[in-house]
Amino acid sequence: MNVKFLNPFVEAAHEVLKAEAGLEMVRAPLNLINETYVTDDVTVILNLIGQIEGTVFYSMSNQTAVTLASSMLGEHIAEFDNLAQSGVAELGNVITGQASMRLSSEGFDCNISTPTLVIGRNATISTLGLPRLVVPLESDGAEVIIHLALRQSNTSIRSASEIPQAPQV
Amino acid sequence: MNVKFLNPFVDAARDVLKAELNAEVRRGELTLEKSALTTNELTVLISLVGQVQGVVLYGMEADTGLKMVSQMMDQEFTEITDLAESGVGEMANVISGRATVLLSESGFESNISPPTLIKGKDVSISTLDFDRIVVPLKMELGVITAHLALRESPPGVRESNFVDVAIHA
Repeated sequence: MNVKFLNPFVEAAHEVLKAEAGLEMVRAPLNLINETYVTDDVTVILNLIGQIEGTVFYSMSNQTAVTLASSMLGEHIAEFDNLAQSGVAELGNVITGQASMRLSSEGFDCNISTPTLVIGRNATISTLGLPRLVVPLESDGAEVIIHLALRQSNTSIRSASEIPQAPQV
Repeated sequence: MNVKFLNPFVDAARDVLKAELNAEVRRGELTLEKSALTTNELTVLISLVGQVQGVVLYGMEADTGLKMVSQMMDQEFTEITDLAESGVGEMANVISGRATVLLSESGFESNISPPTLIKGKDVSISTLDFDRIVVPLKMELGVITAHLALRESPPGVRESNFVDVAIHA
């Protein structure tokens, strides 16, 4: 995992959460983690495909998810319903989109996937051999943790649909 | 969700599982699901971007995953180790890679992301406003349930860093 992929995400998250949810997030210390992630209440997963590939996910508590959705939609949302789910997934989508544009201006072209939402604690998420760079962002009791499991890829966006190699065992 | 995306995945699964596991695959009954999926013990998530976009999930019991990797690596696995996880992820990767080749033959270019593994029963995975076609792939050693949450990308979306996720109640 290359640390130069980090700042585009931190900057994008900072900007988007400020613009969309009115939160001034502060970055807490980074960690590089090899173990699988044990889920919190809400996890938004997106993939990057292109010159950088891998998985990005954003995890948060139910409380943070509801807070984000409420400020984003400008109305009080009491539970993490479908509307709130769409809102939080959209935040992940916009942050990742912004980050990929920043990456692209640094010479790494990549596309992002649609978001997928995992709801429920204590499942584990494994990025299968890609270590995760973990960046907590905090503000006023709300905490969003960014997990980046990315690598540089030699495959151009076009040739990536070739059959992947079978595992070496 | 477009049904024409179904057969490439079923055919790919049939070919790959036959080649890797010498397993005969029978397709179970299809369903179209709009609500979130409740996980089985193992779920592999792979995203597609390109002219087809969305997420494919492969769900199975741990037992099925273990039998699969035991056969694949010709070595007995009794618990989900890192190596077993990587084998399960790789199988999904190869099936999806093969499916994108078949999709490309029918005129839809797409690329796949690296696999992500979600482990843990009864959490919920939402593909938001993407409906899922659910296809059980039945083999003697167990069932892999493939969930296809895919759609044809609007023209020009290939160049976009944003995926249009409608916010709806």
